[in-house]
Amino acid sequence: MYEFTQLGWLKHVIFHPVEGFEDLRWKKQGSMKIALVIVFMLFVDMVADRQLTGFQFNTAYVKVFNIVPLMVQSVVYFFTWVIANWALCTLFDGEGTLKKICIYSAYALVPYILCSYISIFISNFIVSDERIWMTAIYYLGLIWSVVLMIQAMKAVHQYSFKKTIVSMLFTIVAMLLILFLAILLLSLFQQVYVFGYSIYTEIAYRIRG
Amino acid sequence: MKHLLRKVLSLSLAAVTALSMSVTAFADEPYNSYNYDTWDDAIPSQSAYRVEKTVTGAEMQLLKLRDPNEKVYVSDNAAITLSDARDLFVDKERKEMWVADTKNNRILCLDLETLVVKGAYMGVNNSSVEGFAAPQGVFVTTSPTLGKQVVYVADTDNSRVVKATVTDERNLECVTEYKKPEEALYTAQTFNPKKVCVDVAENVYAVVNSVNSGSVQFSREGKFTGFYGANRVQVTAAVIAQRIWRAIASDEQLEGMSRNVPIEYANFDIDNDGFIYTVTEVDTDTDAVKKLNPAGYNIWNNAKGNEYKFGDLTGGQWDPLTKKQHVTRLTDLDISDTGLINVMDFETGRVFQYDKECNLVCIFGSKTSTSDQRGTMSNPNAVESYGNRVYILDGSKNDITVFIETQFGKYVHAAFDLYDEGRYVEAKSDWEEVVKRDGSYTYAYIGLGKAALNEEEYNSALKYFKTAYDQDDYDKAYKYAREAFLREHFTLIIIIIALLVILLIVKGQLKKRGIKLIKRKPKRPKPATVPAAAPKDDEEEGE
Repeated sequence: MYEFTQLGWLKHVIFHPVEGFEDLRWKKQGSMKIALVIVFMLFVDMVADRQLTGFQFNTAYVKVFNIVPLMVQSVVYFFTWVIANWALCTLFDGEGTLKKICIYSAYALVPYILCSYISIFISNFIVSDERIWMTAIYYLGLIWSVVLMIQAMKAVHQYSFKKTIVSMLFTIVAMLLILFLAILLLSLFQQVYVFGYSIYTEIAYRIRG
Repeated sequence: MKHLLRKVLSLSLAAVTALSMSVTAFADEPYNSYNYDTWDDAIPSQSAYRVEKTVTGAEMQLLKLRDPNEKVYVSDNAAITLSDARDLFVDKERKEMWVADTKNNRILCLDLETLVVKGAYMGVNNSSVEGFAAPQGVFVTTSPTLGKQVVYVADTDNSRVVKATVTDERNLECVTEYKKPEEALYTAQTFNPKKVCVDVAENVYAVVNSVNSGSVQFSREGKFTGFYGANRVQVTAAVIAQRIWRAIASDEQLEGMSRNVPIEYANFDIDNDGFIYTVTEVDTDTDAVKKLNPAGYNIWNNAKGNEYKFGDLTGGQWDPLTKKQHVTRLTDLDISDTGLINVMDFETGRVFQYDKECNLVCIFGSKTSTSDQRGTMSNPNAVESYGNRVYILDGSKNDITVFIETQFGKYVHAAFDLYDEGRYVEAKSDWEEVVKRDGSYTYAYIGLGKAALNEEEYNSALKYFKTAYDQDDYDKAYKYAREAFLREHFTLIIIIIALLVILLIVKGQLKKRGIKLIKRKPKRPKPATVPAAAPKDDEEEGE
């Protein structure tokens, strides 16, 4: 039983939201490679949503295209989630390792990414009266992914349902903290850099006379 | 030979240098024309108007007022310049321009073509007060009952609006005086009318200082009939906070509180269909410019989900020319014969021109900088238009600046005229001319797109709407384009669908009978006991 390839396992966990992740854990499966590909696809999805959504639905400011915020919104958020969840749950009897949390979370994101792609694709063929199709598919993927994410976190840490929900909420708080500290650190380093640079210019002026 | 060559070379070099150093003078506007694009960003545009001339007292030949031989002779020491003039009015029938020359306490009548003085009126005969006292508003029309030209003057410091017929170049004959209403409804202590406007039924509307419940309305006979078209209170954070305080404050505290009252409007104008347009000076989003129906309700109501915007769109804006932050202060507006709306911004000296549907047509004019140039304003008090000209009255420079439309402006106006009537295809050639002169003129692309849509050229319509970034019209065009595409390729689509269905059925049947067309490599089962250590590359090939 349960003799799947790695992609087969992915399909299994997506279509078996109740037991899938438990099976995955029981069989000690899950590939980091696939997880990284999924995260990359999430980033591609962000870009596609901005650039390839049908003209009449695209609300993006087309004069500027900056990839950094998109990168932050996908890749950085994802890894912040993983790290925050790991940091939090190791303290609260969670059984998941960093690698496992990463793999399971990424697997749970697949329905969202897929539905998002489909919604972007059909947005090129519908008019705004039929927008409901787009929205419906998008939310279908989103809700599915949320359900999977809860199941994934539950399986990876072997928590009860209630504890899972609480831990996830606290993970979001922890994420905010991490991001806040990261921004703080960044601006601090920027100031250090400016300080160093101004000393350099000062010395340079002195030397030149 | 060598010397000759050197000579020729140096000579030609000198000639080139001299030529490149010569300065060419341009009769350019003293400002950069701009317009707003789909994202409300200011973008450079072509000038739709250029300065034709500026007319001061000298050009109006106000010296005539001192010449006893002239018909318009007033006195030997009559002022020969305007002084803080506040209002302009164009009598289109008689081709006259009327000026309320406020500080000089007189009304002037100029010839519209030459802007030379035709009449000077210091007061009204047979009325309670002879002379004018700081008249701030003037309105001229032909009375349907009298069948004659009548002049309405907002005689501010005399607290009256006076309606008079023109006797000759120097005398006005009083018909009716509209004075401070005695009714209890009129609560203000004073009655200082600033601007006056009259509709077809000869109802008189007056904007009165410190009356914020709308303009004061009189019937033809001079009876006060109520207020018309009040502004609303703009909802700001302060207003909401005060409303909450009011709910919990005691009576004593309430007495000490200031009330939130709407802002009185600065000026108004009436169009050919009898709609009254008002403009409010203080920067308000709610009621900057209103188009009032006969009941006094605003037709251009943003509360109903529309987005009518007037003046500069970026709010408090840094102006590099005057080196200060400015806030839009719309002071006057004018409706032209063709329905174009000119809105004057006192703060920046700019005129914002809109079409009937409130689409921004062009922006022209500027504030006086250190160098006093033609086409810049100091205190622009009034704007009027006639034909292809726009007149701006400056109360500080005491002159009238005459703007005349450029070739670009001509095409834009012609195109907007047809566009607003829905004659998109006819407007096409004008829009094309506009695009030739200003490639980033948004409405040109929308116009061309609508023309293409009417001509059923959906693909080019889509292209135009995309250029203009007009998503709503693109959506409509796309609906038609998709329909057309489906109709054109109907047979092909049906064939493809039929083929797919057949393929699926065949595949289903084959699977049922256990026949495989493509033989797959048998999957290598993975031992369950060995975890991730197994070679992964082979596993992934399987699917």
